[in-house]
Amino acid sequence: MSTAVTTDISVRETLSGDLPVAPPARPRLLMIGTAFACAAAMMLMGGLIGIYLATRAEVIASGQVWLPSGVTIPLTQPNMMAITMVFSVLIMVWAISSLGRGDRAMAYTALGLVLLMGFSVIAQTGYLLTIMELELASDVRAPLIYGVIGTHLAILGAAMVFVAVMTLRALGGEYSSKDREGVYSAAMFWYVTVFLYMVVWLAIYITK
Amino acid sequence: MFPTVSLAPPRFTTADEVPASMALTETRPDTDPEVDAVPAVSAPSTTVDSVLGTGDHKTIGRLWIGGGLLFLVVGLVFDVLANAEIADLSGFAIADSQDQLTQLWSLGRDLLLFAGIMPVLIGIGTYVVPLQVGSSSIAFPRAAAAAFWIWELASIILIISYVMNGGPAGGRVDYVVLWTLALGVMVAALGWALVCIATTVLGARATGMSLEMAPVTSWGFLVFATGAILALPVLLAELVIAYIDVKFGFLPTKADRSGLVSIMNSVNLAPALYFVAVPVLAMMVDIIGVHTGRPARFHRTILAIIGLFGFLAYGADMLSFAWRGRPLAFDNGVLVVATLACALPVLLTLALAGESMAKGKAKINTPLAAALLSGVMLLAGTVTAVLGTIDPILAFIEDIGDTNIDFSLDVLGTSFHWGVRAFVVGAVVLGLISAVHHWGHKIWGRSLDDRLGLLSVLAVAGGTVAWGASSIVAGFLDQLGLPTADSAGDSTVELMNGISAAGAALVAGGVALLLLNVFGVLVGRAGSAAEPWTGATLEWATASPPLPENFAEAPVVSSHTPMIDMALAEAAKDNDEVAS
Repeated sequence: MSTAVTTDISVRETLSGDLPVAPPARPRLLMIGTAFACAAAMMLMGGLIGIYLATRAEVIASGQVWLPSGVTIPLTQPNMMAITMVFSVLIMVWAISSLGRGDRAMAYTALGLVLLMGFSVIAQTGYLLTIMELELASDVRAPLIYGVIGTHLAILGAAMVFVAVMTLRALGGEYSSKDREGVYSAAMFWYVTVFLYMVVWLAIYITK
Repeated sequence: MFPTVSLAPPRFTTADEVPASMALTETRPDTDPEVDAVPAVSAPSTTVDSVLGTGDHKTIGRLWIGGGLLFLVVGLVFDVLANAEIADLSGFAIADSQDQLTQLWSLGRDLLLFAGIMPVLIGIGTYVVPLQVGSSSIAFPRAAAAAFWIWELASIILIISYVMNGGPAGGRVDYVVLWTLALGVMVAALGWALVCIATTVLGARATGMSLEMAPVTSWGFLVFATGAILALPVLLAELVIAYIDVKFGFLPTKADRSGLVSIMNSVNLAPALYFVAVPVLAMMVDIIGVHTGRPARFHRTILAIIGLFGFLAYGADMLSFAWRGRPLAFDNGVLVVATLACALPVLLTLALAGESMAKGKAKINTPLAAALLSGVMLLAGTVTAVLGTIDPILAFIEDIGDTNIDFSLDVLGTSFHWGVRAFVVGAVVLGLISAVHHWGHKIWGRSLDDRLGLLSVLAVAGGTVAWGASSIVAGFLDQLGLPTADSAGDSTVELMNGISAAGAALVAGGVALLLLNVFGVLVGRAGSAAEPWTGATLEWATASPPLPENFAEAPVVSSHTPMIDMALAEAAKDNDEVAS
């Protein structure tokens, strides 16, 4: 009897408006910091590609060809990398969605796949640079091409480290369906990295 | 309009005296402040840990300020040497050759901006901004600490690269490579430290503090940081290309590398250089408000004006990127318009601060004098810079009108632009003196010596006028911006160069006096332990120096002047008690 009365009082208190406090909104510091890092990465690549395109325009305006003789940029690897990067975006969306649904196994699988795709882009870039036969010390154009591609690889490496750290934190239970801030942040940086690759793809590999 | 009240809210000198809640409204906070706040970093256990392993924004801020002031003096000394060398244009006295003179000049320029002015500003931002916005810590405290140590190391390596005949005019390729690397790392570290400050303002504000309620200083740092985070990577891109060019032998001789000197011009000349004056302008508003007892009116308008100033400085810098190949990019419309427009926000801010002076009760002391003179110097710099736009405007009129105007100031590429820079640098240094004195008690627990402070203000203000005005006059007499000492000299130009050297020496002396003042406080031989003044923003709601977690309880605010609100609430409570 007494238990029933206690329950009744508790229910009445709840119904009378003494509701439990809503979970607090945490400051999304990591998201904000990542947004700044994304902006900085875009400006860095924007600066490099700006220098690249300005120099290229000057060389062509002087009547020379841009790529030195004997140097070719095949399209197979750049296009494969572009497809890989676009797919990695879809898989990152899958990872976030899985984490949101609480399907942790699927989320880890997806994040692992994203990392694998990052490694494959690094490997393909290495192979592409080998078959391009553009000696770094051979021509004044080479530093620009290597500078742009190398900087993008560095950003890609940073993005992979970010994704790996956030995956480990998710594995450790820090991120879950209720709090995905870290994985969201890593995803944001990843999307920017993919976008920057598309700019490099267009400016260097396609435009040549 | 603000009520006319005495700015003397309760002073909390110990944690126990801080009231249980700073809530000034009956409104329930949207979020739980305990959870909303950035977690405070626990205090390290040993002395070595407390410096090397700290994540406390207060310790990191002190490190930035100390290190920055030291490098600022060193940078100014190299500026003095470069100017002294060209006081006699017939030959070389201090340097052995033109290359060495270029190295002296370039080292002074690099250190002044990236090892002196910006680090001290970051130090003040790292210390003050979390307190002002009511946060228990800076965002990403470990990253903020790492940024400091990386910057410190890179600054030392930068000096070593110059000593080993590196630098832009150096003869040893390996050390020229080291110069580009060190400069790039410094730029990246400064950018990362600014990410921490900007994130703190955006994401760690006290409950109830909307962005438009942010204190003017914190807002100024947000504008400064946001712009720098966008602009510095572009400079980094240029350094990346320079690094590859030098490293892989595309610039084998000194003549080939002569263009490296101009890489840093883009951030050293107006209007891009004004970006370091953005937080100084903001601090000026806060400091004048405190020392006149009357915070500036039109808070949101001031925020907009400071935002506009930042936009003009950075916007011009970004949009002029394509013209950076030229030594002084004053020949394109964006820069001309920005240079003309930049004087306006400075003038408006000074006018609003002037109202505080006129209607408040001002007592002249170091922070107030330095803040006012800082504003005046900045106005002098921005207005003088307008003269540099006359030639491109006349050229534009000639083009569209198909006429021939027989007039030219002909200052392109001369020391005129470095004279404008001297005014801006002087304004920023005065702003730093003002800020360090204003928040000195909050930072070190003792006030800095006011008489020594006023002496340093006089030295810097006098030095700035001499340095800037003489460089501008020398510019009209065709003294080149990048000084050369082996040409036949005009005696008036030599005199002006000598005055420039003396002016720069006075500025260096003023900063050295500030350093001495800080050292006196550190060893407990100067200043007073009693809190000298209090203000309307949250940093004045805690002890000096603040508690490890900054506030005993996370503050809740309802306006941009929470301390005035608190004083009014206390007064109303007292009245109620008397009435009852």
